[in-house]
Amino acid sequence: MERQAVTAWAATEPREEDSLVSAARDGDRAAFGRLYGRYARMVHGILLARVPPREVDDLVQEVFLLALRQLRGLRDVSRFGAWLGTITRNRANDYFRKSIPDAKATEPVSENQPESRSTNHAAGQEAAVILAVVRGLPEPYREPLILRLVEGMTGPEIAARTGLTHGSVRVNLYRGMQLLREKLGETTKGAS
Amino acid sequence: MKDDYLWDGSGEPDPEVQKLETVLGRYRHNKPAPAFDRLAEIRPVKQRWSFFSLRWSYQLGALAAVVLLAATVFYAVSSRPTGNAGPSWDVARLEGTPRIGWHSFGEKSGPGKLSIGQTLVTDSSSRASITFDETGRVEVDAGSRLRLVANGPGRKWLSLERGTIHATIWAPPGQFVVDTPSAIAVDLGCVYTLHVDDSGAGLLRTTMGWVGFKLNGRESFIPAGAICQTRPKIGPGTPYFEDASAPFREALSRFDFESTTPAERNALLGILLVDARKNDALSLWHLLSRVSDADRPGVYDRLAALSPPPTGVTREGILRLDRPMLDAWWSSFGFGDIYLWRTYERDWSQPPPKAK
Repeated sequence: MERQAVTAWAATEPREEDSLVSAARDGDRAAFGRLYGRYARMVHGILLARVPPREVDDLVQEVFLLALRQLRGLRDVSRFGAWLGTITRNRANDYFRKSIPDAKATEPVSENQPESRSTNHAAGQEAAVILAVVRGLPEPYREPLILRLVEGMTGPEIAARTGLTHGSVRVNLYRGMQLLREKLGETTKGAS
Repeated sequence: MKDDYLWDGSGEPDPEVQKLETVLGRYRHNKPAPAFDRLAEIRPVKQRWSFFSLRWSYQLGALAAVVLLAATVFYAVSSRPTGNAGPSWDVARLEGTPRIGWHSFGEKSGPGKLSIGQTLVTDSSSRASITFDETGRVEVDAGSRLRLVANGPGRKWLSLERGTIHATIWAPPGQFVVDTPSAIAVDLGCVYTLHVDDSGAGLLRTTMGWVGFKLNGRESFIPAGAICQTRPKIGPGTPYFEDASAPFREALSRFDFESTTPAERNALLGILLVDARKNDALSLWHLLSRVSDADRPGVYDRLAALSPPPTGVTREGILRLDRPMLDAWWSSFGFGDIYLWRTYERDWSQPPPKAK
């Protein structure tokens, strides 16, 4: 099987990023656009771990527009990632408070989605089932697994973007993967 | 190693991880960035015109309109109650007939507005919700009085005089604050319920994220699944998880709020230390700074046994209440990054800015 693309992560990036955040905070929209380029997958992954896939793209835009409006309130530019992650999780929480029925909220792909109508129907179904299993894992494992397996971020990048320590990301990735293997094994057994 | 592949894509590829990457890759983010830079270029189009280039009849008409407008604005402003200026929050009726000031809104009336200085009142059969786009949503239960105190940029301040609210906040941490007669609740990114009874005593229950409770320098942090009581003149008590044992919860309540003899206090502390489970590190950590110097080593030892301190946190440091060490220990519990509190903490005991 081919090696999948994961993001190269430069250790020198944080310093450059602080300058970007400072510039964006001072009103430089181009700098904010570059931050979007760096953080969109993190925001997308955090949302995908919580809300139905069909809602995620719109919510990503909402989160960044909200962040753009609130950026002046950020005191420590080096915590931009953690700050943005908090906004994203809060937006996802609010999604459920705004009257989305539970059944719809938890289904990863519904029947009328383009995903199911595509020619690659079987692959789409398999992806939907696996995503549902990942989303059923305990919260600490869900996010790092989706950021790694869906968004293609490396462990060091997840840690740097979310503001978590390497240790906690590593532990959650391995334990989450272990649990995911077990759950997928149960799903396969159940299906057969 | 296969583990290296999961960590950073290096080393020997793990076929199972590779398969998951391939299958789940279809959900990967692939939308281009919105044109944020173009947003910066959008400016209102200014029309080039001059008042003096108008004909005299138009000049006279314009002056009359300006005078009329000024008189209307003056009348409107002078007839409004003091402190009623500033942006307002949208209020929607959920049940019954909530009211803002003298204005009631029932089933047929549209949504209301809550401005600075105004109080939203729900009687025993009415409920309402208030929303502010950039901050969050608050549902107000029956029998509540909730006043909007301040609404500046980065600072939203409500005062819950009595009753119950359910808050879902998406503003950045530290910007949404609810004042009660016995403590101030500072949102750190969360969903929570806050209740205040007629005596001014309060109870905060966090559903997601965590909340900081503060009064006169006394701080309590309440993570998801935990509860914290407050009392007038005392402030926030020690938070605890809802599934703590009944003797633990009762001892904590007496320890925090009842007047006890030294012997009774020792006995209560004994119950707390014996009954504490691993999760009750939450309560023991708070007790470190609330017990006497003589009792602190006992609390330290029990807490260290349940949740060992991280590297760099020493017994001596904790016994002298070294704040960075206390903070580091807290952050090791996984209840929430105390950095958020220390960064966004402000002196919320100061009165809010007056409405312009």
